[in-house]
Amino acid sequence: MSRWLGVSVVLLCTLLALALVGAMLVLPDAPVRLPGEVAQRLGESGVDHAVTAVLLNFRGYDTLLEVAVLLLALLGMLAAGVAPLRPAPFAADPLLVALARTLAPLMVLVAGYLLWAGAFRPGGAFQAGAVLAAAGVLLRLAGFLPAWNAPALHLRVLLAAGFALFLLVAAAGLYFGAMLRYPQPGAGALILAIETGLTLSLGLILAGLFLAGPETPRARGGA
Amino acid sequence: MMTMVFDPASWLILLPLAWATLAFVLGAGRGARLALVGLGAQALLALELARRVRDQGAHAHALGGWPAPLGIELAVDGLAVVMLLMTALVALPLGLYARAYFGAKPKGGAWFWPLSGFLIAALNALFLSADLFNLYVTLELLGLAAVGLTAAAGDRMAVAAALRYLLATLLGSGAYLFGVALIYGTYGTVSLAALAPLISAEPAVLLALALMVIGMLLKTALFPLHFWLPPAHGGAVSPVSALLSALVIKASFYLLLRLWFGVFEPVATVGAAQLIGILGAGAILWGSLLALLQTRLKMLVAYSTVAQVGYLFLVFPLATGVSPEAGVSAWQGGIMQALAHALAKAAMFAAAGAMIVATGRDEIVGLSGVGARLPLTLFTFALAGVTLMGLPPSGGFSAKWLLLMAALDSGQWWWIVVMMLGGLLSAAYVFKVLRQAFLPAPGGSAVGRAPRALELTALALALGGILLGLFGAQPLALLEAGGGR
Repeated sequence: MSRWLGVSVVLLCTLLALALVGAMLVLPDAPVRLPGEVAQRLGESGVDHAVTAVLLNFRGYDTLLEVAVLLLALLGMLAAGVAPLRPAPFAADPLLVALARTLAPLMVLVAGYLLWAGAFRPGGAFQAGAVLAAAGVLLRLAGFLPAWNAPALHLRVLLAAGFALFLLVAAAGLYFGAMLRYPQPGAGALILAIETGLTLSLGLILAGLFLAGPETPRARGGA
Repeated sequence: MMTMVFDPASWLILLPLAWATLAFVLGAGRGARLALVGLGAQALLALELARRVRDQGAHAHALGGWPAPLGIELAVDGLAVVMLLMTALVALPLGLYARAYFGAKPKGGAWFWPLSGFLIAALNALFLSADLFNLYVTLELLGLAAVGLTAAAGDRMAVAAALRYLLATLLGSGAYLFGVALIYGTYGTVSLAALAPLISAEPAVLLALALMVIGMLLKTALFPLHFWLPPAHGGAVSPVSALLSALVIKASFYLLLRLWFGVFEPVATVGAAQLIGILGAGAILWGSLLALLQTRLKMLVAYSTVAQVGYLFLVFPLATGVSPEAGVSAWQGGIMQALAHALAKAAMFAAAGAMIVATGRDEIVGLSGVGARLPLTLFTFALAGVTLMGLPPSGGFSAKWLLLMAALDSGQWWWIVVMMLGGLLSAAYVFKVLRQAFLPAPGGSAVGRAPRALELTALALALGGILLGLFGAQPLALLEAGGGR
C-alpha cells in the first residue's frame, strides 16, 4: 500500500518535472520588463539598491505581510505549546563559552553593518536579523541566555516593535495619498528606521523559534 | 490627499493587523475587548466600502503610490466587497461567542485573539489583492494563522491534525507559487490587471493554471483532497472550528473563482470545468455519507463542510462555456452558497460548541436531554440545518435554486440529481443529531447549562443564514453593481 503510494508520488514528481522543463524550453520573451522600470524609478525610492527598493518601497506591502508571517510563526509555536527540537545544551563546555564570548559581539557588529549596507548593496533587515538570531542561538547554547517559557511583557514589546513600526508607517502613508506611501524627501530615512526596527524584531523572532520552550535544567550551568 | 486617510479598503487590512499585534503584546489570554472593538469597526468599514462600490462602482488602489506592474494594487469590486462583508458579519458574532466560550472554558484560548486577528487581516488582504504574488503572501499568512489556531487546542490529536493541515496548506500554496513563477517567467509581471490582456494558451500558462487550480482545490479541501479537513476542523476548539469552516476555506475558493473567471478565462476549458464539477459531486455525496456515519458531533459537522464545499465547485461546470444567463445564475448561486454556508456553518459549530460545553462530551449519543435543557441551541442547530439542506426560505435555498436554474438553462441535468441527493443526505445527518437531542436524558446523567451568550450569538448567525434567503437580492445587486467577473 505505502509502497504504491511512494511509487506514484515519484511518478507524479517526475511528470511534473518533465512538464516544467518542457514549458521552460518554449518560454516566450516576456512582454513586461520590470527590472528596467525598477532601474528607472530607483531615484525616487529613497535607496540606491534595487533589491531594497523593491522590498521596502515598490513592493513594501508584501514585506509588511511577510514580517507578519514570521511573527505569526512564533505565535503559532507559543499557541501549540510545543517544545522545539534542539540539540542538548553544551553549556559546561569551556570552548563553546569562550567562542560565544568572542563571536557574539562580532555578530552584532556584522548585523549592524548588513543593516546599513542594505541601502546601497546586498544586505538589509532580513539578513541582519538572521545574523542577530544566530548570535542569540549561540548565546543560548553557551548558556548565557535562558529559554523563554512564555515571553514576558518587555520581550513581547520588542518582538512586535519592528512590525508595529512598519504598520504605523503604512497607515501614515494614507496621509500622503496611499497606504505605505513615503513622503518624497524622507523616504530613505523612513526605510532605514523600518529596517532598524525589523532587524531587532526579526532577530528576536528567529531566535525565539529556537529559544521558546520549556526550560531545560542543564542549560544554565555555564553562565 | 486627505481623502485617503479614511480609505475603508486600507483600514480593513491595517485594523485587524493592529489589534492582533496589540493583543500579542498584551499577552496570553488578553485582548478580547480590543478585538471586539476592532471587529465592530471592521463591520462598519465593510458596510461603508459596500456603499461606495454600490454608488461609484469598482476601483483600484495603488499601494505606496506605485501603480502596477511596478507596485501592488488593491482591487475593490463587487465580489471582493461581498466577501469582505461576509467576513466582517460572521467574525463579529463569532468574536462575541469566543469571548463567552473562553470565559467558560479557557483551555486553548491563550493566544486566540492575536491569531484570529492575523487570520482576519489575511482574509481581508486576500479578498482585496490584485497581484498574484501578493495573493501568495496572503495565503501563507492565512494558512499559518489557521494552523496556529488549530494547534492551540493543545491535546496530542489537535497538534497532529494541525501538522497535517500545515503540510496540506503548504503543499497547496507551494503549487500555487509554482504557477506564479511560471506566469512571471512568461509575461514578466504578476499584476492581474496587467496580465488580463496578455494571457494566451502557452504551455507554461496551462501548466501554471493546472498547478494553481490543484493548489487551491487542496486548500479548499475538495474531494478527494479533503483528508486534512475533518480532523483539523473537528479537533479544534469550537470558536476556531467555526472560523475555519465558515471563512478560511472560502478564501481559496474565492481565489480560484477570481482566476478561473478572470485572467484565465481565455484558457479555461469546459472539460476541466466538468472535471472540477465531478469532484464537487463526489464531495457532496461522499461528505454527506461520511457525515451520516460519524459518532462525534463535531466530526459530523466537519464532514458536512466537506459536502457543502462540493456545491461551491458546481459553479465551474455551470458557468464555463454556457449561455450568459445560465452563467450569471450559476455565478450568483456559487457566491450565495459561499455566504449561506459561512453563516450556517458558523452557527452550527457554535451550537455544537454550546452543546459540548453543556454535556461535557463530544459524542452524539451523549446529546440525549439537550432538547429539554438547551432548546434555543437545538433550534439554532436546526435552523442552520435548514440552510445546509437548502430548504426555503434560507440562503441555502436561494443558492441551490440559482444553481438548479443554471443547470436547467445549460441542459446539464446530471448536476440536479446530485444536488437533490445531497439535500436528502444532509437532511439525514441533521435529523440524526436532532433525534438524539430530543431523547430524554438517561437517568444519572445531567446536562448542564451553556452560557447565554453562546446560545444567542449562535442563534444570530443561524438567523443570518435564513435572512440571507429573504434579502439575498442585496448582495447579488452589489455583485452586479461592482462587477468582479
